[in-house]
Amino acid sequence: MLDRLTLSMRASHVLAALLVVAALVLAVVGSAIGDTFYLRLATEALIFAGLALSVDLLLGYSGALSLGQALYFGIGAYTSALVLMKVPSFWLAMGAAAGMTFVCAIIGGLIANRVRGVYFALITFGLAQVVAKVVYNIRDLGASDGMIGIPVIDIGIGPFSVSAGNPVGFFLVVLVIIMALYAATAYLLDTPFGRVLTALKANEKRVPFLGYSVWRARMVCYLAAALIAGLSGALYPMLRGFVSPELMFFMTSGNAVISVILGGVGTLVGALYGSVFLVIIKSVIGSWTDHYLIIIGLLFMAGVLFMPKGLIGFVRPHVERMIAPRHLRETRAPEQDAPLKAEEVKP
Amino acid sequence: MSRPVLEVSDLSIAFGGLRAVDQVTFAAERHRITTVIGPNGAGKSTLFNMISGALKPLSGTVLIDGVDMTGAAPERLKGAGLSRSFQITNLFFELTVAENLRLAAQVLEPAKRALLPIRCSTRAQAKTQAMLERFELTHKRDELAGNLSHGDQRRLEIAVCLASEPKILLLDEPTQGMSHQDTADTAKLVRSLTQDVSVLLIEHDIGLVMELSDHVVVMHQGRKLAEGPPAAVRADPQVQAAYFGHA
Repeated sequence: MLDRLTLSMRASHVLAALLVVAALVLAVVGSAIGDTFYLRLATEALIFAGLALSVDLLLGYSGALSLGQALYFGIGAYTSALVLMKVPSFWLAMGAAAGMTFVCAIIGGLIANRVRGVYFALITFGLAQVVAKVVYNIRDLGASDGMIGIPVIDIGIGPFSVSAGNPVGFFLVVLVIIMALYAATAYLLDTPFGRVLTALKANEKRVPFLGYSVWRARMVCYLAAALIAGLSGALYPMLRGFVSPELMFFMTSGNAVISVILGGVGTLVGALYGSVFLVIIKSVIGSWTDHYLIIIGLLFMAGVLFMPKGLIGFVRPHVERMIAPRHLRETRAPEQDAPLKAEEVKP
Repeated sequence: MSRPVLEVSDLSIAFGGLRAVDQVTFAAERHRITTVIGPNGAGKSTLFNMISGALKPLSGTVLIDGVDMTGAAPERLKGAGLSRSFQITNLFFELTVAENLRLAAQVLEPAKRALLPIRCSTRAQAKTQAMLERFELTHKRDELAGNLSHGDQRRLEIAVCLASEPKILLLDEPTQGMSHQDTADTAKLVRSLTQDVSVLLIEHDIGLVMELSDHVVVMHQGRKLAEGPPAAVRADPQVQAAYFGHA
């Protein structure tokens, strides 16, 4: 049985495949002309795309807006940095970041999931600010300067080894990891548990009467989202060689939310596109003027006003129509344009 | 005779100083339709909310199939075999008809399938299909629930409640806002449900109550005024004074 979520997910996968193709083209061209700047910029975009993905899992599927998702991104980044300073092992750093994020997310989730809606947004915001300020004041974590001098590591993948200092190599590693996170999220949403999440967003009050614990579903979703953010964050010090408290600040969380909204809430792949788009815009406009935030703000407003479903929300229905089996194609088409269709006349 | 599927004893709740439901006791027999009637504000919906876990009672007990489920959370009551509909249509409007049904039927799946791809949930799929056919919604399976007509939505609401194979089904005014023809169809439908489940009904349409019910509980100002077979209840002078108003 093919339903709408499965269909729209498939459309997202088509667009995700397109993104991978574009990334591979960039990798080939980049390595051919010996580019470093754009490859590292693209790597950074993908890392922040992971954070945006985690925001979209929460916001787009369970309907919970987190304004502090950078907290787990930062925890992942700091844990990874601390491990790499002692043992330059990629897998150990990733594992430690995942473990640390998971433990922190249990605590954060127990606090944040007591409330919902605006209060959830405010609690997540507050949690991130508190932890960021604490990190900002701990000398052993580099305080406001952050930690610098994180060694460039070699990433062992089976018999092969890629240096994090190699722009193409590391770009491809990050691409694989972020796409794996995307695939894992998409898989989660295609399970019965994932359907309960979408039910939460649609009508949370009804969910317990279907026999599902709202608290448990929200908690699992929160933990999964935190893990995605933490694993993405763990990649950051490998790219940049430093971490700083700014990674946990609202600016980072807010950028992730903006990426998701620009890309399309509840599309998963939109988070990736939105993030890539935002990083590119920032870099391009930032090279002309220091006041690039004004332009991003204007773009954001224009996006919300004229493309409320985001970039992918706008494109995806067309992709869906191309890949849909006939019975869904017919029923889907009108409701895209007329959500308030008049009642059908009963025979 | 086997034990009633639902036994409510001395159930009470107060809002501020008001005793909204005061020591109500009744039982719902298996495969029967038990109807709660009463004027507006009699406490029918509050009673429903306590039985279905939406409100915690102040005192009293609720037994489902002999197990004490007083004050249990709705998701636990679902496990005990209780399912309820709502007076105001309460569906997942952004999901399709089939998705609404499957979401409800998913509880039938063993827990280990919760994290397998949804196509492995074969039992939920089969149940969804069966419900679509039984409620004549097959041709609307891919429509959004929010786009259905009011009558179809009310029917889907009952189907969703039934999809989890409950022992007892609580229906809160299933014919609310329906046309005459739809009401008659729904009455027939509710009657057919008793093959599989026991039904506890709140209904305002007295004609329908008398025709449909096996047992009627009359509430007035939070208390149980009378109970019995429809004809006996109708003849009760107390009931006539309180409810029908022209004794």
